[in-house]
Amino acid sequence: MLRLYSTIQKEMLILLRDKGGLIIMFIMPMAMITLMALIQDAPFRDYQELKIPLLMVNNDKGNLGSTIDSGLYQSKIFEITKLPLSRDEVKQKVKSGEFNIAIIIPENASDLLNSKVSHFVTKKLNEAGLSDSSEIDESKLAADLSLEILFSPDTKKSFKSSILSSLKQSTSKIETQTLLELFNKELKQSDNGGNEKMKDFVNFKEINTVETDEEVLKLNSVQHNVPAWTIFGMFFIVISMSGSIIKERDEGSYTRILTMPGSYITVLLGKISAYLLICLIQCVLMLMVGLYILPQMGLPVLIIGNSMIAVCVVAVSAGLAATGYGILVGTIFKTHQQASTFGAVSVVILAALGGIWVPVFVMPEYLRIMSEFSPLYWGLSAFHNLFLSGGNLSTILPHVFKLLAFCFINLGIAYFFNQKHHK
Amino acid sequence: MSISAAIEVKNLVKKYTDVAIPAVDNISFTIEKGSIFGLLGPNGAGKTTTISILCGLKKATSGEATILGLSLKKQISEIKQIIGVVPQEIALYPTLTAYENLRYIGNMYGLRGKNLTTKIQENLEVVGLASHANHRVETFSGGMKRRINLVAGILHTPKVLFLDEPTVGVDVQSRNLITEHLHLLNKQGCTIIYTSHLMEEAENLCSAIAVIDHGQIIASGEPKTVIKEHGSENLEQLFLKLTGKTLRD
Repeated sequence: MLRLYSTIQKEMLILLRDKGGLIIMFIMPMAMITLMALIQDAPFRDYQELKIPLLMVNNDKGNLGSTIDSGLYQSKIFEITKLPLSRDEVKQKVKSGEFNIAIIIPENASDLLNSKVSHFVTKKLNEAGLSDSSEIDESKLAADLSLEILFSPDTKKSFKSSILSSLKQSTSKIETQTLLELFNKELKQSDNGGNEKMKDFVNFKEINTVETDEEVLKLNSVQHNVPAWTIFGMFFIVISMSGSIIKERDEGSYTRILTMPGSYITVLLGKISAYLLICLIQCVLMLMVGLYILPQMGLPVLIIGNSMIAVCVVAVSAGLAATGYGILVGTIFKTHQQASTFGAVSVVILAALGGIWVPVFVMPEYLRIMSEFSPLYWGLSAFHNLFLSGGNLSTILPHVFKLLAFCFINLGIAYFFNQKHHK
Repeated sequence: MSISAAIEVKNLVKKYTDVAIPAVDNISFTIEKGSIFGLLGPNGAGKTTTISILCGLKKATSGEATILGLSLKKQISEIKQIIGVVPQEIALYPTLTAYENLRYIGNMYGLRGKNLTTKIQENLEVVGLASHANHRVETFSGGMKRRINLVAGILHTPKVLFLDEPTVGVDVQSRNLITEHLHLLNKQGCTIIYTSHLMEEAENLCSAIAVIDHGQIIASGEPKTVIKEHGSENLEQLFLKLTGKTLRD
């Protein structure tokens, strides 16, 4: 125990005196969490929260213009500004970026729609022999009724199509309603039936998959970025740890330790314990950022779930995986430069695959398969399970086992590599 | 096995993978208890490999060795308790103070508490570093680092001490202090095995020497006797006579 305690004490003293290392281990990940949570706040926010500036020029006095207007308002996506502008003025406002979208509803659009529908109904009834009206003017049926939609140049295709589809839904409803009213009128049915508003035959009911008795948890910028960059920061300890191993080897301390009584495994355990402690301090500090600092910046507060024990288990297993990897990198590489470059790049790759920057579900399928092999994905999935799905110790165990297995495999490889090179 | 032998080496061989010539080629020698034994040789002769095997850092390909009657193959844990090693590198943590470094090393040998503190203070005083106990090693001069490196190897009062060029690159005063301290340790009963390129220092310090080259011992015995046997005037002349003047890298 004396050897173990003494090694932990020695490692902690060395770490605390390494100002550059402290910045890499604590300040950088905390800054990263804050920055990334702020940057990714908008893309993560729901469209309900994110109001898109829309310019509406409604030159129509009838129900088409008002229905579109109320439909857009009810969607809660847009911040609607109504102005009586010319097409050129509207174009200029969208081009300048003042508005992302503009809709121009032409003058007498409702009258034109009614006329088109009326002629269409009469034509169809004539064809069916239910009417013998001669008031069919084909030119009125062919008359152009176009709503003009102007998008800013940077509008995404998917967003354009969702707006168009939403508008199409509004206009279709009016078209159908007008059609029904005219059919009723022509067939001389009662006014009551004709005035009845058509209801949707198919409705959509949103059911949340989270069955907690608390509020429904959402994957927002904080819920994603805090656990993600916590795991990333913990794994970045690979640089300090591998550096420490290489430095010890270069300066001869490793040789001295090998000539001392007792097993080197005790020394290694001391090193792992010290760095694990650093990882846990990192984890606590980064969760504190999510709990106390980010809400001060207008971001949502981090919700860490119901099981603190499970959070601790994830933190310890992720810390062990990171330290195991650090020992392997420090054992395999000969120079600090090699180890720090490889360590940093490999952690960044594993982070990208593990869904640290963007959630795994938005990745292509082959990347999703690859992400299953990233220890950062296991750590992040375990945190997400606890923070988003109300998980507990039993639900995170598969991820925990994977992280621990990763640690032991790394230590095993490092041991055999070490044995081979020090025969 | 001789009762008076501190170290006995028999037919020791060390072959590295992918290297045809053995680094240590079937050497045998005995080091008497209480002696200062100089293992001398040019670069790449096999002296560091021999010492590394005796310290338990490397495994011999074949052969046997005992240290104070303990088998290197079977009793390495016991051997590590009674030996001390002063490597050529300053094998200390630069950002730790002299005291912190020595406390860590003492703890690794099972020393603790007042006993350890007293030993650290005593040894630092002997090497003239008592006033620098709380200074970081990275702030020390080359000579100071060599002296603290020596203390780190002898803190636990070893019975057998291995030194790999302990005075390389140090000022005259520090070298004098180190050699004086080695004499003192030797008088207290510590057997010393020492490698050096400084022939004059070795001639003055050692009670026995062995010249090793190409992994084989080519001369051994008391320095004066060996010098005389080969018709040389001093150890440096003998060394050049035995190992040649060709540069070794």
